[in-house]
Amino acid sequence: MRTYILKRLFLIVPTLLGVAAVVFVIMRVIPGDVALLILGGDQAGHIDKAQLAAMHKQLGLDQPLINQFGAWLWGVARFDFGTSLWTGRPVIEELLGRLPLSLELAILATIVSVVLAIPMGMLAAARQDTWIDYVIRVVSIGGLAIPSFWVGILIILLLVIYFGWGPPLEFTSPFSNPWANFQQMVWPVVTVGYRYAAVTTRMTRSTVLEVMRDDYIRTAWAKGLRERTVLIRHALKNAMLPVITLVGTEFAFLIGGLVVTETVFTLNGVGRFVVDAVAHRDYPVVQALVFLIALGFVVVNLLIDLTYAWLDPRIRYR
Amino acid sequence: MSVQYPLERTAVAPLVPQLTWGDEVWSFIRKKPLGATGALIIAVMIFVALFAQVLAPYDPYAPDYASPFARPSASHWFGTDEFGRDVMSRVMFGARIALFVGFVASFVGCTVGALLGVISAYSGGKVDLFLERVMDILLAFPLLILALAIASILGPAVRFVVVAISVPIIPRAARVVRAAALAVKENQYVEAAGSLGASRRRVILQHILPNVAAPYIIMLTAQLGSAILTEAALSYLGLGTAEPTPSWGLMLSGSAASYAEKAPWIALFPGIAISLAVFGFNLFGDSLRDVLDPKLRKKA
Amino acid sequence: MPTPIRRHRTLLAALLLTLLSLTVAVPSAVQAADTPRRGGVLLAVIGADPPSLDPHQESTFANIELVAPLYSTLLQLDPYHYPKIVGDVATDWKISSDGLTYTFKIRQGIRFHDGSPLTSADVKASYDKIIFPPTGVRSVRKNAYTAVQQIDAPDPATVVFKLKFPSASLLDNLASPWNVIFPKKYLDKDPNYFKTNVVGSGPFKFKGYARGSTFEGERNPDYFIKDRPYLDGYKFFISPETSVRAAAIRSGRAYIEFRDLPSAEVESIKKQLGDKIVVQQTPMTGQWGIAINNSVKPFNDVRVRKALTLGVDRYTMAKVLAPLTGLKFVGGLMRPGSDWGMPQVDLEKLPGFGHDMDRNRAEAKRLLAEAGYPNGLKVVLKNRNVKLPYQDFAVFLIQEWRKIGVEVEHRPLETAAWFSDGQDTGNFELIVAPTVEFMDEPDQFLGRYATGSTQNWGRFSDPRVDDLFSRQARSLDHAERKKLINEMEKIVLENAYFMPGLWWSRNLVQWAKVKNYVAPPNHYTNQKLQDVWLSED
Repeated sequence: MRTYILKRLFLIVPTLLGVAAVVFVIMRVIPGDVALLILGGDQAGHIDKAQLAAMHKQLGLDQPLINQFGAWLWGVARFDFGTSLWTGRPVIEELLGRLPLSLELAILATIVSVVLAIPMGMLAAARQDTWIDYVIRVVSIGGLAIPSFWVGILIILLLVIYFGWGPPLEFTSPFSNPWANFQQMVWPVVTVGYRYAAVTTRMTRSTVLEVMRDDYIRTAWAKGLRERTVLIRHALKNAMLPVITLVGTEFAFLIGGLVVTETVFTLNGVGRFVVDAVAHRDYPVVQALVFLIALGFVVVNLLIDLTYAWLDPRIRYR
Repeated sequence: MSVQYPLERTAVAPLVPQLTWGDEVWSFIRKKPLGATGALIIAVMIFVALFAQVLAPYDPYAPDYASPFARPSASHWFGTDEFGRDVMSRVMFGARIALFVGFVASFVGCTVGALLGVISAYSGGKVDLFLERVMDILLAFPLLILALAIASILGPAVRFVVVAISVPIIPRAARVVRAAALAVKENQYVEAAGSLGASRRRVILQHILPNVAAPYIIMLTAQLGSAILTEAALSYLGLGTAEPTPSWGLMLSGSAASYAEKAPWIALFPGIAISLAVFGFNLFGDSLRDVLDPKLRKKA
Repeated sequence: MPTPIRRHRTLLAALLLTLLSLTVAVPSAVQAADTPRRGGVLLAVIGADPPSLDPHQESTFANIELVAPLYSTLLQLDPYHYPKIVGDVATDWKISSDGLTYTFKIRQGIRFHDGSPLTSADVKASYDKIIFPPTGVRSVRKNAYTAVQQIDAPDPATVVFKLKFPSASLLDNLASPWNVIFPKKYLDKDPNYFKTNVVGSGPFKFKGYARGSTFEGERNPDYFIKDRPYLDGYKFFISPETSVRAAAIRSGRAYIEFRDLPSAEVESIKKQLGDKIVVQQTPMTGQWGIAINNSVKPFNDVRVRKALTLGVDRYTMAKVLAPLTGLKFVGGLMRPGSDWGMPQVDLEKLPGFGHDMDRNRAEAKRLLAEAGYPNGLKVVLKNRNVKLPYQDFAVFLIQEWRKIGVEVEHRPLETAAWFSDGQDTGNFELIVAPTVEFMDEPDQFLGRYATGSTQNWGRFSDPRVDDLFSRQARSLDHAERKKLINEMEKIVLENAYFMPGLWWSRNLVQWAKVKNYVAPPNHYTNQKLQDVWLSED
């Protein structure tokens, strides 16, 4: 087991390096010189070649790519992710300012989805091909079929047209003002959570269905156990593994991937920050954030895989 | 003449349907009405997309400055937009783009991913390790960011959007197919077939491929829906297809919300179209999985 | 035993008290409608983040709307009498008879927010930074001050501008809201200090900026105008989605949007809130046009360029785009209806501005055929991927050009790439190019048509245009200047070096409780908020 853990940990390094390298290259390949942008802007005046060169130097862009990459990696090793090219503040500071909101949204949406999805998924599996199954499947597919940004805008519009009410435009921590926080977060959590619940419901349904076919379940039936016992005490445990995988990876996705939701609901979260940074060619921010998101993703995956290996000895000896 | 080893026969038998195609389809419709509905929706969409030229009453690009924001009526079933363009014609032509993007991105992504997955699983060792790392790297990128970056580099033409959307699909498909291929590989009858002298190619074609066919097809249909949604999101963010192309995502973006009170039909119909398409593909894909996945057969 | 009077005593007391309070309350209620009320925080929404906080280096509304209340300028436009110039930090000024020396008297007693006094040295340092920026420091409006030779500060209350040649526009350009006064001591240490810091002398002090979220300012108790500002502070919420901003106003989470909201949103808001909302519709000193890259084939051929501009029906465009985007007025290179705008009757004679579209289109096709494109032409139009008004503007043009056989591939780019292609590399065939300035000032609007100007995206060069431009910059006679400007415009438009589209108009939406805000013809000026008050919180 130990060797397995070590092996997996060791394998994280090339993955992360690979991610870092890919981001690095992509950012440099996207057309648009950041120095020009900082000096240029919307309707700029004269751009002096010397000024441009000076800016390149200041940003460290005149070094060969390998050097730049090396310098960045060295910084990361010391937990220094650089400073944003646009705000001049350390990337970590900018990130930490936005993390609470994204985290809260991700956590609440996950809770909502898990609380809804697992029972519904199990129910649909237990009653496969009956009308209960159909309803649950239709509702959950509906949840993923409707574009999230559309739902978000519709919700805001309906609220403002019929109730003259709009959500607060600024984030307040749930610890300082729970009511204001609730007002801002409730609709994004509902929108994201519904979608997330839909995905999880379907996964739960399909894994429970698979597990139900296994021999040991048949034994349980044969023993005459009640359906509820069979489902919960026997099937659920094994069915949960892929579901946990899904929840874990979706959670990692939620931290950085909710650009559209954040835009629609005026949430100053990590997703929008990354997209803005790409638009501004703010290299340090994009590199740091994608790296951290990838790190989170990889760590979550590792934990899940370790859980699998612990539970299923066959995997360990590959 | 090669001897028919009963071992091979029975090993393959549970994987391959015994009934004829016609019987299968009919029993599918009867047993899986949801899936059949999904299939119907898809068929209608494909039909509309193929024959949009004939079916659409107006040129989707042609403006009519005299009647912007016209309510749905006999002459414009879905109304007109801010330039007086017929919404229904635009939705019909939009089906072309959505299905094109969906099919191609999903197909390219899933096929490349499946190939890589099979190669990875079958070769094992260093090749597997390397490919797995590459897939991990691609997977670790938030999907939208990756698509966004690619779209930024390549530009907003439809063909580039397809590439941008298919790239994140590759690792996801590779992962699933690799797991399925591995599962089969571990299976004893395959080992047995190998030790009986079956060539590598035969093992792959006759044993591994049929087993990964099911997850591959399921992934294909699942990613189709997701590809359509990603295109919509990219267009919404201004990085997908460009005006005046009648793509559904574009029709839903920004100003549709501004006009939502005055002319809700502008956003309503493309939104319904997207939802219906994704809905159909997912319904169908789900039922397909129920049928194809040997483990899920009710009678097993 | 309580007597009747005693029992009623409390009642009487209550009655008297009520009467008394009424006498006080009623007049104050009447007063409140007239006199500004102190207090309250103005909540506003804005659509973007500023690239930096230094107005000398930026030209986007996202900068000036946020920081203008924190600073003072030498001169400013009178918000109630555009385009009159009044002093801000300057109390009065004299121009020498030869027009080469401008002397300004600086008000004494102004303090920066850090307590230090504002003197002419600070004015000089700020203007030196604008007109003679050190290396590595950007100054966006440098070229508007080519007439200035040097700036002197002979004593703490006097600033002197010495000119190389007389300039009719200098005073106007000095009234630019972007030319804020910074404290010299910070500029000496680091001229880029103010990109990320704020030390001003304006009616409000910097309170906080959470990028992507909020920007706040609070009242400056030591502001040099007594009793101002009325507001306790102001707060901007940053939200890039137009419909979300509109919803914020509608729900009362924000009271005002300073730039523009589309007419459809304005209608809905008005319908729902009626009198609680005030909409100020103003023409804007800005236009959207198309820069044609004169240095690439086939656009170096005047016939192709003329065909493109002839093929566009600007009058229908105004009708169609006005309710959608605010692009409303047909005009040339200077704003129609302003002092410098070309009279309609002259404009109509120029290609692209005539009313007979059938004839125009036939002529366009003929010109294309003559230039070697009888079967039409394929072009690429680059654009910025901001929705309004860029996209709708392009859609209309694309539809028009189709009618003369020009097939357009539309490529919206991110701001960074659009700007880079348009201004820096010239990597485009056609590109959407807006021109928005803070007042109808010929030097500002026309400088971009001179050879070699960095704002000359179309990269054309015509010595006649250059000559006319520099002559008008030096001309002190209003009528003569107007003639020179019109002539310059005629040459540019006849040769279609640049294709103007439409001039902008906007809807400024605010709650009625926001008092005393007069919308200027652009969203750059009158942003100091010192006279604005809220009639209720």
